[in-house]
This record gives sequence, C-alpha cells and structure tokens, in this order.
Amino acid sequence: MKRDLISMDDLTLEDIKEFLQLAATVEELPAGEKMTKLVGKILMVMFFEPSTRTRLSFESAMCRLGGSVIGFNHQMATSVAKGESFIDTIHTVENYADIMVIRHPREGTGRLASETSRIPVINAGDGTNQHPSQTLLDLYTIQKFFGGIEGLKIAFVGDLKYSRTVHSLIRALMKFKDQDFLLVSPDTLRLPEYLKRAEKQDTVRFHETASLKEAVSWGDLIYMTRIQKERFPDLVEYEKVKDSYCIDEKMLEHAPECLRVLHPLPRVNEISYSVDRTTYAGYFEQVGNGLIMRQAILLQLLGVAI
Amino acid sequence: MKTGGHILHIPKIEKGIVIDHIPTGHGIHILEIIRSHPEMKEVVVTLGLNYRSTKLGKKDLIKLEVQELTPRIVQHISLICPGVTIKKITDYEVDERLTVRSPQVVKNRLQCRNPNCITNHERHIETCFRLVDEQKQTFKCIYCERVFHLGELRPLIS
Repeated sequence: MKRDLISMDDLTLEDIKEFLQLAATVEELPAGEKMTKLVGKILMVMFFEPSTRTRLSFESAMCRLGGSVIGFNHQMATSVAKGESFIDTIHTVENYADIMVIRHPREGTGRLASETSRIPVINAGDGTNQHPSQTLLDLYTIQKFFGGIEGLKIAFVGDLKYSRTVHSLIRALMKFKDQDFLLVSPDTLRLPEYLKRAEKQDTVRFHETASLKEAVSWGDLIYMTRIQKERFPDLVEYEKVKDSYCIDEKMLEHAPECLRVLHPLPRVNEISYSVDRTTYAGYFEQVGNGLIMRQAILLQLLGVAI
Repeated sequence: MKTGGHILHIPKIEKGIVIDHIPTGHGIHILEIIRSHPEMKEVVVTLGLNYRSTKLGKKDLIKLEVQELTPRIVQHISLICPGVTIKKITDYEVDERLTVRSPQVVKNRLQCRNPNCITNHERHIETCFRLVDEQKQTFKCIYCERVFHLGELRPLIS
C-alpha cells in the first residue's frame, strides 16, 4: 500500500518518532552512501503557489539521494491554465514520476491528490490547512535544540489564523505529553477554535496574550510567523496588522539563555536582522534541518531502507 | 398509546413505519427529507405535531404506509435529526425498533462551508465529512479539515 504525507492528523505519535529517527540516521550517513539510495527514481514537484525553501529543499533532497526531479512552479505553465481539472492533472503526472510533492492555494488539494494518485503524494502546503513536511522538520529542530519534545512551553506569534505551519505544528505537538502553548496574535488573527480540540485535553494547555514581551520571558521557544498578505481577503485589514509583532536583539536582552526563536521563513519585518547574530536564532539551522527531514520523507514514502 | 398517565389519541396503524420521538418542530423537516426521495412521493403519510411526551416534553410523530425505509433515507434522517426512533409496525404491534444515531461518515450530502475548500471548486468530487462529536453535532471535512456544527452545513440535497 502506498504511503502519503498529507496531514499531521493522519500520523500517530509512533509515526512521527519514526520520521525523527530516520532523519537522525540520514544526517549521520556519508554523502556518497546516500547518493545510491534513490537512483532511477523521479520526483514530480507541482507548485501552484510560490516557494523557495520547500521546493528547492525537496529538489535538493532528491538529487542528494541520487534521484531526478521534474515539475513546474507556476500553474500558468500547465494545462490548468487552459481549464484542466486538478484531478485530470494528477492522473496525468502520476505516469511521469515515482512520487509527487504538491503545493496549492486551496485547502484539501493534498487529500484529493492522494485519493486520485497511484504514487505517493506529499502535501507541501494546501491553502491555510496543513504543511506536514515543515512540521516534521520543525519537530526535528526542536528535538535537536532541547533533547526532546515533551514538556516544552512554546509561544506562537503572529498570524495564527491563516498560518498552515502553525496549524500543522500545533496539531502535531498535541500528540506529545504535557504541552503549554502561548498564543500571541492580533485579535483578527487568532487561532481557530477547532484546532484546539484534543483527544486528551489534560495534556495540552492553551494560554493567550497580545504581548510579545510576555512571550520572550515565558517559555522555551518562540515560533514567529509572517503576517501573510496573500491570505487576506481585504487588504485594509492586512495594513492594520502587518507590523503587529517585531522581535529584535534589545527585546531579547533579558530572555532566558535556553530560549530559541524559530520561523518557517520567509520573514518580512517580524524578526530583526540583529537577532541573527544572537544564540537565540534557530531559523537558519531549521532551514538546514529541512533538507535532512525531506530526504527522510522521500526515503520513507518510497519504502527505501537505509 | 399511554404517555405519563395521559391517553394520546393517535390511531394505531395495522402495518407500516412510525417515526417517533421527533423533537417538536422537526417533524416538518423530516417530512421534507422523506418527500425528497422519489420512491416516497406516492406514500400515504400522517404527520402529528406537538404531542405530549415524557421523554421530550413535546414531540412530533410521522406514520408512513410503507413496508420499510431504505438505508439511504434512514441515513438522511440521521443526519438531520439523530435520536429519533423508527418503528416497524406489523398487526398493530411494534415489530422492530431502531434508534437513529449520527452517521460516522457523511458522503456527498453536505456542502463544505469553507469557500476555499477544493470540494467547492473541483468538478465531480464528492464531499465527505466525519463525525467529530456526536453530542455537539460537529463534523470535519476530510479535505480542508475544518470542523463545523451540523447546523452550519448546507445539504446538497434536501
């Protein structure tokens, strides 16, 4: 049976730990040995929305494992621009590759692709819903920084309404024991209530504030997000909140030493460049971990052991 | 029929289907559902409103001169009004009894409320919702993964 990666809600805690373990193994493996793992395999990248890190890191991951990459990064370059349906596009491209990775502005496209396709599908972001490969690399980064994932206090800052990386990560973290989340957002960008639903309510606690200062001294990790202009139906609303939160070196002066700041990137104004020089900055290491985790995902879904 | 010491004047039927324990006000909705299924157009129906009930305070009741309800109709009723009782009557007595529960999965009966969900844009795709909480009557779209109260979701057929 083929395996897909569509939503963190589909994965058990054991599945997540398996990905984390595999990523650690991939990181230790010599480059020359990795190059033989996916020889002859083709990755199809289908990006209906812009991307820098996700697309290029999947492409690089495939190349580093010895495989090849084909695809597109704009729907205007495909027959979708002529009115072809999404389903017909999937039925077509599944013939050309062994695994596909899809980013699309509409929610549910990852699930629909996985139901339609004979080959494994990786959801690289479906609208505001999920971004599971980002979440796995975020978890891998958190595990490397703190030695584990349970019992952490994590502040999520910025656009909690539309950010799929936040939605995915919160759903995944809720599978781990003893979690405290501090939600820091403008009133119009608060986390949707349905995402707080947990099977074991007693292991997850949500706290809310509008103050970024509070978040700096509160926990172990700050997960910053960009206010996403492209998600706002009304740009007047975007203008009101676009610069709500900006973290800089001065703000971190009294932060606990162990604090780390992560960001799925790209950033706009929410993290000052002065933070890059501090020990708190974890976002570039996070980018590096993306390449490792995406190699692990490709290997896992293609059923190739290392 | 006795309820809480009161005699209710609901004539018994010799054979057919009785839908009982309908919360008052919902009888008309269930009747609309039944009438939306082509095979039920000619069936003789009696609708009773606002009967006294020990269980519900007040209730509606529907009698149908039909041998049985198809699973499709039962599922449709379960979606709109879980908790009602469907009784099969033979020789004036209750032969079989079924309490309708919320369906675990609802396929192609409800439209997703999320305007950006792919099911509202792709042609020839069936919607699918999974029950999240029976008490709260919440369902999750398996595509966009948003959770809605049943009352928020518009039926695709009614």
